[in-house]
Amino acid sequence: MKKRRFGLALSLVLAAGTLLSACGKDEGNGAEGGKDKKDALKVGMVTDAGTIDDKSFNQGTWEGILQASKELGVQEKYLKPGGTTEADYLKEIGNLYDAGYKFIVTPGFKFETAVFQAQDKYKDANFVIIDGSPNDGKNDPVVADNTVSIFFAEHQAGFVAGVATALELKEGEAGFIGGMEIPPVQKFNWGFQQGVAYANENLGTKITIKKENVVYQGSFDNVAAGQQLAAQMFDKGVNVIFAAAGGVGVGAINEAKTRVKSGKEVWMVGVDVDQYADGIYEGDKSVILTSAMKKIDHASFDMVKRFLNKDFPGGETLIYDAANDGVGIPEENPNLSDETVKQVKEVYEKLKAGEIEVSAEQGDLFK
Amino acid sequence: MSYVVEMFNIRKEFPGIVANDNISLSLKKGEIHALLGENGAGKSTLMGVLFGMYQPERGIIKVREKEVRITNPNVANQLGIGMVHQHFKLVENFTVTENIILGSEPLKGLVLDIDKAAKRIEELSKHYGLNVDPYAKIEDISVGMQQRVEIMKMLYREAEVLIFDEPTAVLTPAEIDELMKIMRNLIKEGKSIIIITHKLKEIKAVADRCTVIRRGKSIGTVNVAEASEESLAEMMVGRHVNFKVDKKESTPGDTVLKIDSVSAKNNRKVMALKDFSLEVRRGEIVGIAGVDGNGQSELVEAITGLRKVESGNILINGEDITNAPIRHRIEKGIGHIPEDRHKRGLVLDYRLDSNMVLEVYNKRPFAKNGLLNFGEIRAYAENIFKNFDVRSGEGGASLARTLSGGNQQKAIIGREIELDPDLLIAVQPTRGLDVGSIEYIHKRLIEHRDKGKAVLLVSLELDEVLKLSDRIAIINNGELVGIVQASETNENEVGLMMAGISKERSV
Amino acid sequence: MRNTIVSIIAILLGLIAGGLLMLAIGSNPIEGYNYLLQGALINIERIGNTLATATPLIFTGLAVAFAFRTGLFNIGAAGQMLAGGLAATAIALTFEFSRPVMLILMILGGLLAGALFALIPGILKARFNVHEVVSTIMMNWIAYWSVYYIVPGYFKGPSLETESQKLPDEYTLRAPFLSDMFDGSYINYGIFLGIIAVIIIAFIIDKTTLGFELKAVGFNRHAAEYAGMRVNRNIILSMLISGALAGLGGVALYTGNASSMQIGLLPSQGYDGIAVALLGANNPIGVFFAAILFGILYSGTGFMNAMTEIPPELANTIIAIIIYFAATSVLIHRIIDKVKRSKANRPEHKKGEA
Repeated sequence: MKKRRFGLALSLVLAAGTLLSACGKDEGNGAEGGKDKKDALKVGMVTDAGTIDDKSFNQGTWEGILQASKELGVQEKYLKPGGTTEADYLKEIGNLYDAGYKFIVTPGFKFETAVFQAQDKYKDANFVIIDGSPNDGKNDPVVADNTVSIFFAEHQAGFVAGVATALELKEGEAGFIGGMEIPPVQKFNWGFQQGVAYANENLGTKITIKKENVVYQGSFDNVAAGQQLAAQMFDKGVNVIFAAAGGVGVGAINEAKTRVKSGKEVWMVGVDVDQYADGIYEGDKSVILTSAMKKIDHASFDMVKRFLNKDFPGGETLIYDAANDGVGIPEENPNLSDETVKQVKEVYEKLKAGEIEVSAEQGDLFK
Repeated sequence: MSYVVEMFNIRKEFPGIVANDNISLSLKKGEIHALLGENGAGKSTLMGVLFGMYQPERGIIKVREKEVRITNPNVANQLGIGMVHQHFKLVENFTVTENIILGSEPLKGLVLDIDKAAKRIEELSKHYGLNVDPYAKIEDISVGMQQRVEIMKMLYREAEVLIFDEPTAVLTPAEIDELMKIMRNLIKEGKSIIIITHKLKEIKAVADRCTVIRRGKSIGTVNVAEASEESLAEMMVGRHVNFKVDKKESTPGDTVLKIDSVSAKNNRKVMALKDFSLEVRRGEIVGIAGVDGNGQSELVEAITGLRKVESGNILINGEDITNAPIRHRIEKGIGHIPEDRHKRGLVLDYRLDSNMVLEVYNKRPFAKNGLLNFGEIRAYAENIFKNFDVRSGEGGASLARTLSGGNQQKAIIGREIELDPDLLIAVQPTRGLDVGSIEYIHKRLIEHRDKGKAVLLVSLELDEVLKLSDRIAIINNGELVGIVQASETNENEVGLMMAGISKERSV
Repeated sequence: MRNTIVSIIAILLGLIAGGLLMLAIGSNPIEGYNYLLQGALINIERIGNTLATATPLIFTGLAVAFAFRTGLFNIGAAGQMLAGGLAATAIALTFEFSRPVMLILMILGGLLAGALFALIPGILKARFNVHEVVSTIMMNWIAYWSVYYIVPGYFKGPSLETESQKLPDEYTLRAPFLSDMFDGSYINYGIFLGIIAVIIIAFIIDKTTLGFELKAVGFNRHAAEYAGMRVNRNIILSMLISGALAGLGGVALYTGNASSMQIGLLPSQGYDGIAVALLGANNPIGVFFAAILFGILYSGTGFMNAMTEIPPELANTIIAIIIYFAATSVLIHRIIDKVKRSKANRPEHKKGEA
């Protein structure tokens, strides 16, 4: 008896749902955003694996879009795909498109094949792909007129961080922990090694990097493994670790915090964004010496802005490097002395001017 | 005359059946009152109502002449009613004391005061002659002792009325005597007892009055002293019961089973069967008598292939099957009515008809090219149900789990006899069954013998072994003590041999 | 019948709970569910995508359910999928055959690889009584790192470091006629494989002596042993079949829904298979519908997100709640029993024959 009544109530609710939904169809947009945003550009983003606050790609891209929302009045929305296959990505791109978001930003090389298809399928939409270029997985990249592909000079970011690290510590041992062994991570590594070497040769520092202290963990999310790797390196006498490894890096930073709290002096170098806040162990003191930054938020903000200014560089592949302030170390570096900051600035200017060349290849560097 | 418990016109229904229909029972202070009935007659339900496990649809319960509502077992406990269940509710790796105080732990400040409890248990134990060691672990003590722990639990909680649910089903003859003694002690100290049972001998031995129920209805209450076993059985079953087994003289033929100095280990990797030799011939029933845990299970498992043989040989009709797979042994003609029908005998979640082909499902006509023929299976099963009087709610479609114990056992026996095995091994075939079923099963085993087949009977009930067997092999501590002709022996002689006292005159 | 009712109640409870969560964050649940359904089913392309999303779940759900029928808990469907997907991908990238021959080889290769990955836990269980939950989980990581090593080492794509080469179109389960029929959806032959698998597994379980044995072992291995069934052989066989099914799920996912293998990922469909099996009451047909439901939920979430103010993280929570409730069917069984009993106790509801 009771059960039947319950069932009846349920079916009523469901029936009501179907009825209401029919009238609700066109009201969907009205509920969201302010009135002045009604006709504003709708900017959508599909996240890569990981959360929106990943201190990396997702977060950087999203912060740029949020800035655009605040300053340029666009409407923003991000979607999280259920998996990481091309089909998963395409599905979310389709969802954004169907919901009226026709300016779509995708962070990461994993979107290459999905954007390749989407730029053809949704010709009246615009795409920005960061750290990748649309391709079908076999042939050369095709950047359609409605798409911009953006790359960063990670090696330059690593280089500047390497110089800053060497200058601040003067002597000691450095290590590197990478996530997956993929080009952006590798370039950070190689740039960092070149930066340290540059400082040793030209600025009188004595920082060594041993081959066994350059490792790739193999994932971007194994926090425990990062902690272990860092512990091993610190035990072997490493003073500073540059971690370009997402969650693995978080583990390494945690290890460094523990050690500093127990009186040891070890440092970390952050990656992608300014990780100073992540390394805080007490008050406002942080284990993050500096960070090798890719200014992803600049890139996504720039693209929205240029689109609104009818200046969208469709079909182009852009490189963000020192020359256009797309990479570097943070503005504020509480753990660097004024002297170091000054010297780094000089090196950065030379890099900008092309007086220093940083190689994006392995050459005779470790890994 | 004062009654401690009175139940008037109790009615309790379960889906599809009326378990108790207008049943009344009154318990005098200081008496042992037997509740007699076949399996499924409604005894346990009635006691469940008294113990607060079920709520009756109708009827009144009075305790010490005050009407009460017993809504759950805690209320029953508060009223001084305690129950020893058929399956003990003990924590294996706790000590006796810990088990007894579980749920009403004595505290000294915030700390458990085990010693105080243990002391009290010791006193109670002495007072009632229970002989329980408060510091022993449950897993280390015998089943009989565990039962006494359950009794102690009730005494510790100061129960005045004690309900025993089939207390002797798990006990050896000696332990049963011991239990009877304890019951009499309890009465002497002013407790009152209800004992649920279908064993007439025990009622005669210990009970003062007896209430008989049949199919949920009250048949009557009698003074045990004025009733005979036969009259009680008739009240219970509703017809005249034949206690004597009609059995012709056996005419043994060729040897079917030959066990040649077989040794086997038990689950704890200790040698439990030592150099055991025995032959069973066509047309005879050989009984194995022994106290529980003396190697009977290992012997049966060695023959059926469920246990590895360490040394020695087992032959069926001359063929060595010592290391043969189980299926091969079944095909060679071994039928096995297992000791534990729930563990081995049935797939409880299978339909009953599927259970009837458990050993032959892959043979024609039940299967062809790996496909089951459900029509054939159903017909085959129906035939067994008819021949062996297996009753179930929905026939072959019922889950085996839903049948009463007696019907489950009849189904297993039917399945094994239907295979027409040269050697039928029946282990405790009537355990926990009522008189009617026992009578029926005994008849079937003898019929199988009379067809010229061999039967190996293993039972802990000495009565049963004496009644059915042609020859009796006595086992003690894994060794064969001796073999006697059933017609030339008696309970005393076999009882002595079971205790390991050998005799010269072996057959 | 009863299982169906239980599953439907479980889903409804899940939807209600999810709806309450939407209310709690100030969204309109009716609107939310409406967009969820639209996202999954509003046009033919989305229906196709929903079916394709459900396809790997059909396989993993069947894999878990089949093992469960034999009393085994195969938690390693994810690793078996990887093994199956890797084998199929490797075959397609190494050899050249006509399309039909190649597809058959890929399917067989994936099936065998999945079976092999489940065989090891099966043998460990049968021989050494190693619990399959432990060993299958460990096999997941072996598969994970094998892919991690093999894909970049031997099948690396020209541009993507973390993915294998893309399979040529003719060597995938995608079919132009299907994509056209479903308006550009990525639905593929996998769904047909799934339906065939459902039918075959249902047939094995219900109609064959093999199924009779496997179920007997699952319900009561002591009785099965008593009756002369070879328990260990059945355990191994059950794991083999379960692994083969999961391996096919890998083929469907990596050469149908996707067309390349990615490293550093355990497919979530492996664990979702457990929920699918539970909701489907370990019955092949039930598994099929449960997988379709999951497909609807997973496909529709994005559109619900895009059209409402529900943040993606909460949308996933809502889906998780629905799944969680769906997996609690055991509880619902008990509640129904209780209701039935109290009903039966009231005399006026007495039935004639139970």
